[in-house]
Amino acid sequence: MKRLVYYLQRDLTRWLRRKIAVISALITPAAWLIFVGLTLPTTFTDNYLDFITPGILVMSMLGTSLQGGSLLMFDKILGFLNKFLALPAPRETILFGKILFITIRGLIQTTVILILAFLLGASMYDPLTLMATYIILFLFGVLFSSLSTTLALQLDDHDSYAAVNAMVSMPLFFTSTALMPYNVMPAWLRVIAHLNPVSYAIDAIRMLGTDIIPWANLLGLAVAAVIVLLICIRRFRRVTV
Amino acid sequence: MNVIETDNLTKYYDRLCAVDAISLSVGHEIFGLLGPNGSGKTTTMRMLTTLLRPDAGDAWISGHHVVNEAREVRNRLSYVPQEMAVDINLTGRENVALFAHLYGVENVKDRVDEMLGLMLLSQRADDLVKTYSGGMRRRLELAQALVHEPEVLFLDEPTIGLDVAARKNIWEHITALRDKGMTIFVNTHYMDEADRACDRVGIIDRGRLIAVDTPGNLKDRIQDDVITVRVSGKFDGRIDADVRYMGQVDDELMFTAGKGSEAVPRLAEALTGKGMKVHAISVREATLDDVFLRLVTSKTDEEGRFDGHGFRLMLRRR
Repeated sequence: MKRLVYYLQRDLTRWLRRKIAVISALITPAAWLIFVGLTLPTTFTDNYLDFITPGILVMSMLGTSLQGGSLLMFDKILGFLNKFLALPAPRETILFGKILFITIRGLIQTTVILILAFLLGASMYDPLTLMATYIILFLFGVLFSSLSTTLALQLDDHDSYAAVNAMVSMPLFFTSTALMPYNVMPAWLRVIAHLNPVSYAIDAIRMLGTDIIPWANLLGLAVAAVIVLLICIRRFRRVTV
Repeated sequence: MNVIETDNLTKYYDRLCAVDAISLSVGHEIFGLLGPNGSGKTTTMRMLTTLLRPDAGDAWISGHHVVNEAREVRNRLSYVPQEMAVDINLTGRENVALFAHLYGVENVKDRVDEMLGLMLLSQRADDLVKTYSGGMRRRLELAQALVHEPEVLFLDEPTIGLDVAARKNIWEHITALRDKGMTIFVNTHYMDEADRACDRVGIIDRGRLIAVDTPGNLKDRIQDDVITVRVSGKFDGRIDADVRYMGQVDDELMFTAGKGSEAVPRLAEALTGKGMKVHAISVREATLDDVFLRLVTSKTDEEGRFDGHGFRLMLRRR
């Protein structure tokens, strides 16, 4: 467990020292908040910023988690993984450290976005809503960073991996409830949006705003995260024996 | 039981036999595994360091089995792969401290200072590694590898990509570690470096271990001088002179003779007599390269194929 923290610390230090990577990770969601959240002429709500903030939070988490798989891939390509695998520490610690890092990095980014949203005029979250939002984002982060890491281990080639990411991230975002609620969607989109795990996380955060605790969504995300994590562990063991 | 023991260690990649029934015994020494690229050196090392599972055979490190007691084995060894894998956006000290923590070393701070001092990196310890030279990065990797006082150190091509001074320096460090009682297993294709630094070497070709001995004994197998002749024209392998034909690499024929300089005139005459044009002749004492060439060629005579081009590439890499 202590060793997991050291792996985590390594990745965090490396990330924070590359300032440009930190800044660029915040630009896109900030642009969405400002250029879409403040400008779109919507009819279904008076405060579109309030509506879109959960969508942007989940979108940032989705983006950073999907990219995260490349971390383990580069550790493998550059020879770090072989050095770590030759250490006596349990090998899964390497994997857990990665997934935790990707998720925590996402939570740091979403915190900045949340602060920005409040500054732009979104309604403040009460402490309970805030805590529940972080739990939802954490589960969502574990789900998608496990998925992207599995994908990276499976494909073993950065170009293919980046291509798959580009292919899935946009459709996942636009077929979710990030930009509009179910009742204004065309019927065909509504069906897809109901199946999209990205909607589960966004809906859950919105429900918190109406004082409903979204147990079903929480449970769904938790179960999905555990299943994908188990698949990822299995894949990792296969690759590293 | 010796520090490193292998018994018919074998690994297949699909149907290609990458490592073919290698049996080795390595004690407190610098042992060099020599061979061209793709001969199975790295695969062998990965099996010994528990990174790959052997398909057949066994191996033990300090009496512990590499598959059944992998954790015990990993506690006793350090592995430095050939890619220089150090975090360039961390300082030297942070890089070593990471490994000290991951190994669960006590007194991390003191231990890290000691290792950085040993590898002569104390002055630059708090600089980011991206400002380090290649030689310094390699020494930093040694500092990482030594932080838990391993019994066995595995180094895959430790001097690859380094300049002459840095190479010499790395070998000096390796020799000093051996003198302190560590066992060092090195993969390399630099025959001259192995000749100077290794106590014993094993020569591996297409997955098979074809000779294990001290560099001196191996060179004694070729007591003769080596004559290299650059020619044009086709050579049929038969020569009417007091020399032995060793093989051909590109347009150079290689022969051995008891007294090389005395054999040269007859050899030149004989080659010219066969209708070939002789461009240049040189005579020198045998090196490990020649040992390798002879071992591989004599085997090749049975199998009828020798990758002279691959061998030449290997020599050029120096």
